[in-house]
Amino acid sequence: MADWVTYSLLAILFWGFVGLFQKLGASRISADSLLVWLMVGFLLTLPYLLATGNVFSLSSRDIFIGVLGGITNGLGSWFLFAALENGAKASVAIPLTALYPLLTILLAVMFLAEKLTRLQWVGIGLAIIAGVLISYDTAAIAASDGQ
Amino acid sequence: MRGILVKKGLWPKWLLHALLSTFWWGIWGFVVKLGSDKISPRQMQILFMVGMVPLVLATLVRLSFRVDMDRLGITYGVLNGVFTTLGLLAYYAAMQRGPASLVGPVTALFPLVTVVLAFVLLHERINKVQMAGVVLALLSIFILSM
Repeated sequence: MADWVTYSLLAILFWGFVGLFQKLGASRISADSLLVWLMVGFLLTLPYLLATGNVFSLSSRDIFIGVLGGITNGLGSWFLFAALENGAKASVAIPLTALYPLLTILLAVMFLAEKLTRLQWVGIGLAIIAGVLISYDTAAIAASDGQ
Repeated sequence: MRGILVKKGLWPKWLLHALLSTFWWGIWGFVVKLGSDKISPRQMQILFMVGMVPLVLATLVRLSFRVDMDRLGITYGVLNGVFTTLGLLAYYAAMQRGPASLVGPVTALFPLVTVVLAFVLLHERINKVQMAGVVLALLSIFILSM
């Protein structure tokens, strides 16, 4: 198995637990509060990150790109919260946001000239459809649409 | 542009917001890929945290700085932060080693694990739509790992 597959599966595993903690946490405190405590969890990892992660050795371009990573991800979360607050049905909004890799693929193919085999395109297609279907969580929908 | 679309009632506001969410997360994957050749995963995560500060501050303002203090809720929130970090570090490592056009869609499949964990640990039901998604997700991972 290619290295990137192993690391991607690790990411899925860890983020899968995040989804579970999110469910469990949301029954106790608000989504906003959860986000604040998430940041506290981030800060707890700082000693480990700082052990080898001196960011001052980076060029200003790279620092900008790294920070932009946090900003763009934060904006994505912000607008999902906003959509749900503005009366989005979770049954529509969350599967819709599961389409986000489409833009990443488009940009990577256009600007980084990434080339994929036909079989890989099939795999990507299945992954996108799978993401939309799995996020059709009827329990969460009943909870949020019933408000 | 945004004002015009909403004012004319062409698009409900929530749809615009949902699409903007999709847009920014899509950009995020590309940005990470751009940085991954020069920035180590740990460096990337430190900078990511800096970029998250505005969102957390905006959230604190929205909460009027009154954060819920339920002990179990806090535990889950903090655990969320630690596991999100671990996932991000793996994600950055994957982006360094593979094409963004594959790492992006595969890592977006994390709800697969959530659904299975919720089924096993919380005894939540997996509906038919989700079950079809689980099968397709496993199939796509199999195909893409070949």
